[in-house]
Amino acid sequence: MKLRLTTDLLTGVLFAALGGFASVYGSRYALGSAARMGAGYFPLLISSGLLVVGAVLIVRSFLGADDDALDAIGWRQLVLVLAGVLAFGLLIDRLGLLAAGILLVVAARVADREFGPLETALLALGLTLAAAALFIYGLGLPVKLLRL
Amino acid sequence: MDVLTNLGLGFSVALAPINLLYCFFGVLLGTIIGVLPGLGPVATISILLPFTFGLQPQTALIMLAGIYYGAQYGGSTTAILVNLPGESSSVVTAIDGHQMARQGKAGLALATAALASFLAGTFATLVIALAAPSLAEVALQFGPADYFSLMVFGLVAAVILAHGSVVKAIGMILVGMLLGTIGIDVNTSVPRFTFGIPQFGDGIDFAVIAMGIFGIGETILNLERSGAVRSYVQTVKNLWPAPHELRAMLPAAWRGTLLGSALGILPGGGPVLASFSAYALEKRLSREPERFGKGAIEGVAGPEAANNGAAQSSFIPLLTLGLPANAVMALMIGALMMHGLHPGPQLMRDKPELFWGLVASMWLGNLILVVLNLPLVGIWAKLLTLPYRFLYPAILLICAIGVYSINNSALDVLVATVFGFVGYLLYRLNCEPAPLLLGFILGPLIEENLRRALVISHGSPTVFVERPISCAFLILTAVLVVILAAPMIRSGRERVFKESGT
Repeated sequence: MKLRLTTDLLTGVLFAALGGFASVYGSRYALGSAARMGAGYFPLLISSGLLVVGAVLIVRSFLGADDDALDAIGWRQLVLVLAGVLAFGLLIDRLGLLAAGILLVVAARVADREFGPLETALLALGLTLAAAALFIYGLGLPVKLLRL
Repeated sequence: MDVLTNLGLGFSVALAPINLLYCFFGVLLGTIIGVLPGLGPVATISILLPFTFGLQPQTALIMLAGIYYGAQYGGSTTAILVNLPGESSSVVTAIDGHQMARQGKAGLALATAALASFLAGTFATLVIALAAPSLAEVALQFGPADYFSLMVFGLVAAVILAHGSVVKAIGMILVGMLLGTIGIDVNTSVPRFTFGIPQFGDGIDFAVIAMGIFGIGETILNLERSGAVRSYVQTVKNLWPAPHELRAMLPAAWRGTLLGSALGILPGGGPVLASFSAYALEKRLSREPERFGKGAIEGVAGPEAANNGAAQSSFIPLLTLGLPANAVMALMIGALMMHGLHPGPQLMRDKPELFWGLVASMWLGNLILVVLNLPLVGIWAKLLTLPYRFLYPAILLICAIGVYSINNSALDVLVATVFGFVGYLLYRLNCEPAPLLLGFILGPLIEENLRRALVISHGSPTVFVERPISCAFLILTAVLVVILAAPMIRSGRERVFKESGT
């Protein structure tokens, strides 16, 4: 029998893995007793719950209750948008908003299947400057436009 | 009369120029973002949160409430004009509203939605003003055990009324609660799940999670599907309803108002449930039910009144019990906490100007909504023709700057990236992310109250059934679980949501 990657199965695996990880990692925190709970008591309750829910989903997926197969993933959009936001986070303290913002917008536009180079460049500059005007000068948020 | 003095205090706060201004901005921005297809109130509020960071708590809350109403109404506009409900609560508005638009009555449908919303908003504001103080009085008697049971009840109710799989919704709540344990444990000072990163000691900011999931994750999802969404927008004219149309719409609006205001108070209730129920009610009461789905004005007035009434009255459990009834209220409670405020019965006593200012600005927000939307509706319709390719980079940029500016922390942006991925993944796995947010907000409160209750009872769990209030909530929870388990009712629930999906 071929294993079908249904959303139930994948969600179940995800929940169970998270619950399992949290209960193992969380075992370093003292449990205490019900009357004097340690730091580990509540997390253990929650992560065991997650393990159970994950198991239920996995079992249910084999019973074929919900057979939604996972759709194809748009890797281009996913990777480029995330890369853009990540780059923003890595650059904002080193280079400032101008560089980080332009890079984010360009990455976001390239993530789309169709984009015009000139339009993208103008949009990146325009949006970043507008955002700077709004957030830095308008709202006074502590973000630097340029950091050299 | 107490209520009048309180409302007087409220209006003196809400009418302060700065608050009025931000209420106006909130409604305006909320409508602008909310009009955009695919962006419901939760996404809109997440995206616009950064605009409130620099404000005084009460101004920030007033602005957020304005954003909420604006987003709610913006969603209805989109639903009516292009049949693309941005959020689940305007799904039913789209059914008859869009048919009206196709018959050239777009203006009438929009005016009906605005007037019905205003009626409901006014009524629900009065309900809050009258009911909240006595409810808060009761809530002051609550002990830790009662709060624990109340929150469990709230979470179970939220699960039952969520879309899609119940098991997944429970899992999402647990994931949210687990995320909520990150940070230094307040009772034992042990850093939990911080992985040696000192900044995680204060826990993850809920705004980082919300903007990651709803701002970044949803954008990736929309981008994958973009190109498919191109619709036909009508010109909007003939806004004001004729007398016979008013006669058809007013009773429906009243029924929707009453139903919505009542349903909004329930944990897990709120605008979605209210608008569906109102539509069903109108269809049942109508002498010509066959008109529904073909542009019946009652089918717009009822649900629109109901969803706005519920949007308002769901503030009641938030402000009096500190219990967020739905994901939007979870965002509100998170925003309040960022300003160092803890919603609950004490809030009304300790900060009456904040509480009553909010209540008064709810009504003002609704007024602004009508005043703003009737003349500007042409502009909103234009906004719908704005290409998505200009829009989503702006959304991403606002989210990135917003996340960074919460704590001036680049690390937060990296965490938000992770949640962007998580959000995308969850959507693809058909997991509704809203319960995660509820779990995240309620998790720490549940832990705290569970601990306190068990300390007081020396570890005996019977305290939860011995206290009458707590016991009552647990019985209600059990009733809900039984309803959940009953397959007949469950398939009925799925049918309601499936019908709406088409």
